[in-house]
Amino acid sequence: MKAIEFTTPEAQQLYTAYFLRVKRTISPLNKADQEELLMEINSHIYEGLQGNPTSNELEKITQIIEQLGAPEEVLKPLVAEKKLEQATRTFNPLDVVKALILNLSNGISYIIFALLYLALFGFIFLIGAKLLHPKSVGLFFKNGRFHLLGTRNPDSLQKLGLTEVLGHWFIPTMLCSSVVLYFFITLLLRLKKKVIN
Amino acid sequence: MNESFVQKWKSQVKKGTLAFIVLNLLKDNEFYGYELIEQIKTHTQIEIAEGTLYPLMNRLKNEGLVASKWVEQTSGIPRKYYTLTATGEATLLQMQNFWSDLETSINKLS
Repeated sequence: MKAIEFTTPEAQQLYTAYFLRVKRTISPLNKADQEELLMEINSHIYEGLQGNPTSNELEKITQIIEQLGAPEEVLKPLVAEKKLEQATRTFNPLDVVKALILNLSNGISYIIFALLYLALFGFIFLIGAKLLHPKSVGLFFKNGRFHLLGTRNPDSLQKLGLTEVLGHWFIPTMLCSSVVLYFFITLLLRLKKKVIN
Repeated sequence: MNESFVQKWKSQVKKGTLAFIVLNLLKDNEFYGYELIEQIKTHTQIEIAEGTLYPLMNRLKNEGLVASKWVEQTSGIPRKYYTLTATGEATLLQMQNFWSDLETSINKLS
C-alpha cells in the first residue's frame, strides 16, 4: 500500500497514529482482508484530502479522522463477523473462542453458547482430574438416580451414600461427550449464522 | 413532543435503512467508498460515522449484492469501486416493494 505523504509533521503523525489503531483493530483478520481494508481506508483519507481547498492539511486530516470515527468502534462489526465466519469454517477451537468473545455483545444466544462451551471445558477438566485423583472424580449416583458429575472427597462418599457408576469407562465417556458436544456447538453456530443471514 | 425519543427513533431508522440507501445509490452508478458517503450525505440527511460504511460494504459483498474492483489512479492510490450485482438488483427490487407497501400501510394508519 502506498502511504500518503504530508508536508506538516503533525498531520503525518495523526495519519500514522490513526493507521496504527486501524491495524490493531483488524489484526484478527487474515492478511488479505487486512490489506484490502487498509487500502480502502487509505483511499478514503486520500480522497478526503483532495476536497475543501480552503483548509490546511492538518485541519483536513483532523476532520477526516474525526468523521471516520474510532476504528475500535466502527470496524468492530467487521472483525466480529469475520471471526464468526472463520470459526464456523475451520472448527478451530481458538477461532471459536475469539468469535464468541467478539460476539458476546450480540445477544443472549451467545451467552447460551458460552455456557455450552463452559460445559465442554468442564468435561475436559474432569478427564484431567480423573487421572490425578481417580477415586474422587466420577459420575455419582445416589439410590439409583443421578446425583453429581464432578469431584467429591472419597471419605465422604460412603457417608453420603454415593456410588460411582462409570469406573474405567469414565475417561472414554467424557472424551466422547466432549467431541459430540463440540461438534454440536459448532453446528449450532453455523445454523444460527444461517438463520441470521 | 418527546424530542429525545424522536431523535433515537430517527437514528434507529437511519441505521436500519443504510443498506437500502446504499443499494439504491448503486442502482445506476458505480461509486468508490468516499464518493458513496458524499452521495449519502447529499441525498439524505444521514450523519454517520463514515467508517461504518466499510463493514457494511463488506457485508453486502459477502452476501453477493455488490461487487467491487480496484481502479488504479495517477496518484498511486487506487479507488475501490462498487457496483450492484444481478442478485443485488433483484434484492433491491424486493426491498423497494416492501418499502412502498410499508409506506402505504403507514399512510392508511395515520
